[in-house]
Amino acid sequence: MDIGDLKKQADLSYNIAIAKRNALEKAHSRMVLVYSEHIFRADPETICLVRTLKETNDKLFVLDTNNNPVEIQDPTDFLSKLIERNQESLNSYHQIYKTFEKKGD
Amino acid sequence: MTRGVLLFCFDTEHTKYHKILERCVRLIKMNIGVEITVVTNFSTYQKMSPMGFINYKFIDPELGNKLHGNPWNNVDRHMAYELSPYDTTMVMDIDYFCFSDHLAQFFDTHYDFLVTDKAFDLSGRDVFDDERKWSLIPMVWATILLFKKNKKVKKIFDMVKYVKQNYLYFTELYRIYAKNLRNDYVSAIALQQINGFVGYEKFPFALPTLPRDCEVMEITDKGLVWKCKDEINTVANQDVHVLNKEIYDV
Repeated sequence: MDIGDLKKQADLSYNIAIAKRNALEKAHSRMVLVYSEHIFRADPETICLVRTLKETNDKLFVLDTNNNPVEIQDPTDFLSKLIERNQESLNSYHQIYKTFEKKGD
Repeated sequence: MTRGVLLFCFDTEHTKYHKILERCVRLIKMNIGVEITVVTNFSTYQKMSPMGFINYKFIDPELGNKLHGNPWNNVDRHMAYELSPYDTTMVMDIDYFCFSDHLAQFFDTHYDFLVTDKAFDLSGRDVFDDERKWSLIPMVWATILLFKKNKKVKKIFDMVKYVKQNYLYFTELYRIYAKNLRNDYVSAIALQQINGFVGYEKFPFALPTLPRDCEVMEITDKGLVWKCKDEINTVANQDVHVLNKEIYDV
């Protein structure tokens, strides 16, 4: 590999790394969900918590992103929206990620 | 309950802010879908292209503030409470481009006042981490504020006015080195004071931001292409706060 190829490859890798970092941040940002007038993050922790609590409770109390307690009247609906937002965000990230693989070939 | 976005736009001799506003308004209409009110002066208004149904409020901007040696008419934000015709208002910098509907959902929250406290450097260099680290209080980014009209929020804006009047004193007190008036610092100081130094509620995301030395090469309704040093990169379907004001030429 001559120095020109090396620079080209290094620049490409750098651009992909920045794009990947930005796409991940975009996914994290997109996971923010407003429900019942409060803000939540549709991350694995929240999804697992709601799913676990839902097994034994008809109504739940969870903390929003500002640590305010919120009563969730319909846990099934809440869980469904959390999962929907989580998967929508990650699906979008996945689509972008596939373009990186092509660029790296 | 009425809701809308409030924008401040005043041209200077160096920067055609009205051109930036036109892009910002178009994206808000496409992606946020709420009413828009623009606070401007008549000379700036005369240069604006027709943007469809939006409201205007005319004021004479307070002069004297500077950014990198150039005039910067940004010190009227403290009047947002009085100028907003809405029950729930999102105040937004006109260089924040909504390429997604991300912000729309926050109008449905119960919070009285929300602000962001983090910026995400899209160029990957994390240049914003160093800028504010000497301050004795946590800083915020007043690029986006969401507030409801009530007694509590009125007191916050009264505090903002007080901080603005005594800005040099507060910058000394809290070891803020920038001496030009920045809404970020005024808001941070006011929120710290009015909330009894124990923190306040925030948006749970970092503002995706392109630093000043990144040049925007192309903008569409979906995103933008930018260049930083020799590297070219893109952002699509993600909001972006663009600090390079030469964007009006793109």
